[in-house]
Parts: sequence; structure tokens; C-alpha cells
Amino acid sequence: MSQPRIELRSVTKSFARRDGSLNVVAGIDLALAAGEFVCLLGPSGSGKSTILNLIAGLDAASSGEVLVDGAPVAEPSRRCVLVFQEYGIFPWATVRENIALGLRDRTTSEIESTVKRYVELVGLQGFEDVYPGELSGGMKQRVAVARALAVQPHIMLMDEPFGALDSLTRLSMRAELLRIWEREKTTILFVTHDVDEALQLADRIVILSPRPAKIVEEVAVELAHPRDVAGPEYGRIKRRLYERLGVSHAI
Amino acid sequence: MGVWPYITIAVAVLVFVLGTRLSRSVTRIAFPFATAAIVVAAWRISCHLMEYDLRFPDGTVKRIPVFPTPFETVAAMVDMFRDGTIFRYTIASLYRVAVGFTIACVVGIPLGLWMGWSLRAHDALNPLVQALRPISPIAWIPLAILWFGIKDAAAIYIVVISSTFPIVTGAMAAVHTIPVAYVRSARNFGVSGFELYRRVLFPASLPQILISMRIALGVSWMVIVAAEMIAVESGLGYLIMDSRNANNYARVVGGMLCIGLVGWSLDWSMRRLERLDEVRWGFSKIV
Amino acid sequence: MKLKIALGAVVILGGLYAAHHYLNEKPQYHATAPSSDTPAGGVVRQSFTVGFLPVTCHLTCPVTSWVTRHSAKGTQFQAQKFTDFPSMKEALIARKIDATFMIAPLAMKLAADGVPVKIVYLGHRDGSALVVAKDSDIHTFTDLRGKTVAIPSRFSNQNLLMHRMMKQYGMKDGDILLKEVPPPEHPAALGAKAVDGFIVGEPHCSKAELEGYGRILYEMSELWPDFISCVLVVRQEVINDQRELVDELVRGIAASGEWLDADRATGAQHRKDAALVVGTQFYNQDPKLLEYVLMKPDRVSYSDLKPPKATFEEIMDLAVSTNIIPKRMKFEEYCDTSFAPDLETVSLPFDRMPGLDQISQQKK
Repeated sequence: MSQPRIELRSVTKSFARRDGSLNVVAGIDLALAAGEFVCLLGPSGSGKSTILNLIAGLDAASSGEVLVDGAPVAEPSRRCVLVFQEYGIFPWATVRENIALGLRDRTTSEIESTVKRYVELVGLQGFEDVYPGELSGGMKQRVAVARALAVQPHIMLMDEPFGALDSLTRLSMRAELLRIWEREKTTILFVTHDVDEALQLADRIVILSPRPAKIVEEVAVELAHPRDVAGPEYGRIKRRLYERLGVSHAI
Repeated sequence: MGVWPYITIAVAVLVFVLGTRLSRSVTRIAFPFATAAIVVAAWRISCHLMEYDLRFPDGTVKRIPVFPTPFETVAAMVDMFRDGTIFRYTIASLYRVAVGFTIACVVGIPLGLWMGWSLRAHDALNPLVQALRPISPIAWIPLAILWFGIKDAAAIYIVVISSTFPIVTGAMAAVHTIPVAYVRSARNFGVSGFELYRRVLFPASLPQILISMRIALGVSWMVIVAAEMIAVESGLGYLIMDSRNANNYARVVGGMLCIGLVGWSLDWSMRRLERLDEVRWGFSKIV
Repeated sequence: MKLKIALGAVVILGGLYAAHHYLNEKPQYHATAPSSDTPAGGVVRQSFTVGFLPVTCHLTCPVTSWVTRHSAKGTQFQAQKFTDFPSMKEALIARKIDATFMIAPLAMKLAADGVPVKIVYLGHRDGSALVVAKDSDIHTFTDLRGKTVAIPSRFSNQNLLMHRMMKQYGMKDGDILLKEVPPPEHPAALGAKAVDGFIVGEPHCSKAELEGYGRILYEMSELWPDFISCVLVVRQEVINDQRELVDELVRGIAASGEWLDADRATGAQHRKDAALVVGTQFYNQDPKLLEYVLMKPDRVSYSDLKPPKATFEEIMDLAVSTNIIPKRMKFEEYCDTSFAPDLETVSLPFDRMPGLDQISQQKK
């Protein structure tokens, strides 16, 4: 394997609190190859978001090393962007202005053509001059994805991006994300607590324990897209995932 | 006085009672007028109650009025309207408030944003701001005269001092409530320094800043009377002080009404701003 | 928890009310007179409120109040301090006070506007001065041409005097710019060079003089010997219904005035006493300043206070010609001289002011 795009070496993170320190991440070792789509799957509050923040450079690890392209992460960078559940897009700016957020150092015509390209990619043609307040949840999330892709990041860190959407929109957004990923070849680390979501999207699923987060198991999903959710292999992996999450009796 | 005030109150109450069964499109016109009618009638009655009889030893009795009636006030206002006093003085007051309020915004918004974002700026300046904020503009009058003399500048200073602090405090509080997601994604996309203020902190705080500006504009319009107590010789505040000195209480009340009406329209204009696309997201749609 | 907060609020409110009452409420002097004075064994004495401004022109008001406070019999005159004429005027219109000292033309204007009040006595004679900046090159009245002079109010006799002088020196209206400034701010306005001069009642002239930036250009006696600044005004209702009370008040004021002027030639101990009492108990000013004003010969006098018809007619003419009062009024419409006592029959029953020992004790 060549140099991994993302590499975490014995990373821990704890937060100081009034009643002592809270251990959130307890020794994670993880590597993502360029172009890989990996899901972090774990129960709510298991420190998944913290791991993304560490990789994005929005927070510093308590110990261990976080490397992107072999270099330690020191500060946030446009090469590695985060997409949040609560969108993080600016309600005071139009769709166009939001998507152009990371393109401030380009020329006007470059900005224009890039915005046009990604607006088309996420299917928001005609909404360029609309404010987010007038968009549906799914459309807002697409703005967030377009804004992230527009800077042509090497890495996209997605923190339960579809969590706030209704289930139908969620399904179509997943399909769209896969379509975009196949085209852009971006490395994606996707956090979710939804087993089906992880199964439908990822090349590899990393199961995390409840807080403090440790890797319980890594499961490779070698199924072609679009995946047959009723197929035997799908069902087998799904059962295994539930088992490792400690809820096998629930199905 | 006659019985008209009592009849007016009865009619207005009737409007309120019947109004509960009428549609909002009727009541939103009828109710304000009914309220106004009650206030005017109560005003007239209170004038009547304040009047007293003066009895002389020779048996003659004289009725002594104490407070101007609504009609006398309206007559005084019509007079002032005809001779242009109201227009002239409203312009003078608006000028002072406009300049003072603009200075307050130009100073207060950046200062508030800075104090809201930078903990060190907050540490250094917040005690000063919070200690200056509660000082009444009237208390500043002697200093204003010493520093700025008895021209417009002193009156404008009073407006500035009374409207800056609500804006600073408002902008600061607004920054404190910005959702962390906005700041994170901004940093993620390489926004920092002055750009962070321009692209995130300011626009994210703007709806709340607008509310504090609305309050501050109300305050500056309110303190115009105090500001114009300073030897300036124009303005609605001066009109009130001058008419008071001249024993013309109908003009005093007329000036008060004028300040109220202009203040109301200023507030109305500020509320229009809330409809701008850049800030509309920050206001609920109930009203 | 909520109960605790509610109880706390009640305790704080109650505590503040009690503390405010204890610290700030003035004693009301409705005390019962000693039983020895009244056969019936003690009655509640009447109380009567008279307004004043802390200026030497109104000195007889607090003096009379202090005297009746320390006397066992008669009405107690309460001296109610105001800081500006408009508030005083409004208290009078609303019948919250029964009598007050105020500038003469304002009293006449009130009467002209239909407020039922009458001038019954004068407050003092002289007691004002025209003051200019010490280092200015203004040395005569004509030097004031084109300059700004502060006046206490357009309804002050100081304003009318300026018009009278301007006419006398052949100047037009506006040759000297007159600016209304509240009396206490006159010295500061001169000090800050906001005006070139001011004309106002004492002790503000002396203050500018004592603090070194003011120079007396003219004493009032040099400008208009019959000048009247402040007068005692009583509501017509009180005159109609409580004649004896007004009589008692005017006699008290007259007696205080006589007492203040009695030993002027022989050390003026009375005035020193008055400066101490009034400065510390009523004006909240340095008694030294008041003493300075009161001890200067001819700066202010408290004799000859019966309203003189000829002077008032002249004031009325000036007021009408300067449009302060719309229509000429007859002297009797705003003045009632029937209360002015024969000065032979009034006197204070002591030489030194009563209650001085209390003040020196308080000082320690």
C-alpha cells in the first residue's frame, strides 16, 4: 500500500471538565487510502465527531499522531473539509455565495465556472440566487456537499450529514453522494450510527465502541454499487455489524 | 366639557367588545382608533378633574384650568405646523439623532463584534463598557458642555453616548450566540482574521445587531429632549424646554406628541430592514 | 427556591423603603407645641410650604423657615428647595406649593397667563451683578456690543435690565446676544468661555470672582438702583381663604429681612449666622461663599421690600416692549401690597440665630 491519505497513530483525546477529565477517544489506529470511502459506525456520543475534528485540524489530539498525506495536521485546510449534519452553510448568503466560500482566492470567472459545475453536480440549477431559508433540508445538504466539493478537497469528512433528512431524501442523497464520489475520486470518511447507511456507502466499515472510542472491528464491504439490500452477502455483513455493536438480539 | 368624553369611552369599549367577533382586517383598523379615543377622552376628563374654582371674598368665582386639553394641544400643533416650526425642529432633531446614531453604529458594531469574538478584548473593555452603560445621558450634560460647548456637537455627543452602549452590548451578545458550526466551517474553508469578521461574525450577528440598533435608535430619539436641553436653539427637545419656560404647556404636549409620532415612524422604518434577505433568516415569521 | 427569591425581594424592598425613609425624608415639623403655650394642652401647628432656589435673593425664605422651626408658636414655614424656575412654576400651577420666591417678570407672566397668583412682597434689593471674564477687554457697557451675555431666563428682570441698558446706550435688539442659561451654570459657562459675560443673582457672581476668572463689571446699584430681581408670590386661593397665614408669612419674611440688615454697620454678625445656617442646612453650599457675598457692603440688602408701584410699571413696560408679556396689566392685577407690614411692628425675638449649637455639633 502506498502512503495513506489519512493516518491516525494511537490517537487519544480527552476534554477537561469541571468534574475531572472526560476521555473521549482512547487509542485509535486507522489509515485511509486515497479515494477510499470509509464509514465510522458507532453508537451516539461515541466520539466519532471528535475524530473528524482532529483530522480536520479543528481540534488537537491529546496524544498520538494525525497525519494527512504523511504530514501532521496543524490547522484547518481546504484540502480536508468537513460536512456537518446541521449543514454549516450560511443562511445570510445565497447558494452561489455559499458554494464560493472556499474559492475566495480564485478569479471571478474561475469562481463562476466552478460554482456552475458543482451546482449542476448536486442538481441545484436555478437555485443559485436563493437564500438557504427557502430551501428544503435535502437541498441545504446538497449545498453543503457542493460547497465542500468546490474546493476540490482530497478528503471529505462527513459527520452524519443526512441525519436530519427524511428517510426518502436520505436514500436519494446516498445515491447522489456515491455518484459524485465515483466521479470526483475524493477520499471520504463518513460518520454514521445507521448500519444500513454504512452498508450502502462504504468500502470499509470501522466499528467503534461506546465512549471512549476504540476500534472494535473493521469490516470490508466488497459489493458493487448499487448494492442489493436484499442480497445474502448484504444480510450477512449486516448481521455481523449488529452483533459487533452488541444489539444482535434486536433483529 | 360636556359628556362627549364619556360617550367616546363608551363607544370605544363597545368597539372592543364587538371587535372580538369581527375579523382581524377590521380590528386592526378599528382597535388602534378605539384605544386612541379612550386616551384622548381620559386626557380631557383628567383636565376637567384638575380644574378648580377660585372664590374671591366678594363672592365671584373663577374657573382655573391647570393642564392643556386635547383641543388646545391640537390647536397649538396646527399653529406650529402652519408657521413651519414643527418641520424646522423635526429636521434639527433628526439631523442630530442621525449623526449621533451613525457614529454609534460605526463605533459600536465593530467594537461589539471584536469584544464578542476576542476574549482578551472582552477582558480589557467589558468592565469599562458595562460601567459607562448605565450612566444617564442627563448626567453627561455638564461634561458634554465642557468638551463640546453649546452647539450641535454637544447634543450629538449625548445621543452617541446613549446609543453606543446598547449596540456594543447587543453585538457582543450576538457573537456569543453564533452557532459553532458557522465558525467551524468558516475556519475549515480558510476564513480567518478580518475575513472572519466580514464573512461570518458580522453577517451571523446582523439580525441581533439590528434589534439592538432598533433599541438604540429608540433610545437616541428618546434622549433628544435631554440632549437639546443644552443651550442649542432648535429641535423638538428645545421646543419642549422653550415652551415650558414660556409657560406654553399646549406646545409642550404638542412637542411630546410630535416626538412620539416621529419615533414611531423611525421604529417602523427600522422594522422594514428586518425584511432584507441578509437578515430575514434571523427573524421568526409570527408577526 | 422560588419562595426564597420572593422573600428576598420582599426583604430588599422593605429594607430599601425603611432606609430611604430614615435617610432622606425631611422632618415634617408637625410637632405639637409645648403644652405651656396652649391652654388646651398642645395643638398640632400649621405647616405652610414656600418654594425657593438656593440663591441669596431667596435668603429670607430659609431664614424664616429656620426661625419658625425654632419657635414654639405660630405657623411652621417649610422651605422647599427647587433647582430651576420651570419646576417651581409647575409646582405652583398644580397647587403643590402655596407660595414661592421667583423672578419678578415670571410672576407677572404667570398672572398674565391666567395663573391666579399675586406678588405680595419683594425678596431683596440689589443682589445681582454683571460679570465678565477677568482677562477680557470689556470695561464699559458699550464694550459688550457684539458679545454674548448669559441671562437666567427671558422672564428675569436681568433680561429686561439688559434691554433697558441697550436702549439707554443706543443699541438695537441683538447688538448684545442674550442667552438663557440656568443660574447655577453661569460661572461655569463664563469659565468655559461659552459666554463673554453673565448677569445673574448672587452667589454666582461672587463664585466667578472668588474662583478667579470673573470680574464684576457693574453692581446692580450702578445700573438700575431700583432693580427688583425676586419677589414673593402667593396663590390667590390662599390669599382669599387664609389671609392671616399670608400675613404671618410676610411679617416673618419682613422680620427676617430687618434682622439681617439690623447690624450691617456693626460687624454684621446676623449675616454670618445666616450664612452658616442657610449654607449648611438649606443651600448645601460652602457657608464661606455666602458669607463673602453677604459681608460685601451694598451687594445685597433685605430692607425696603414693599412692592413699589412705579418700578413695577416700568418692568411691565419693558416686558411688553420685549414681547415677554402680550398685554399690559394693571399693577393691582398682579400685585397685592396689603400684606406689607409696617416695619416698626416686626422684629425677631433674638439677637443671635437660634439653633447654631446644633450646626457646629453636626460639623464635628
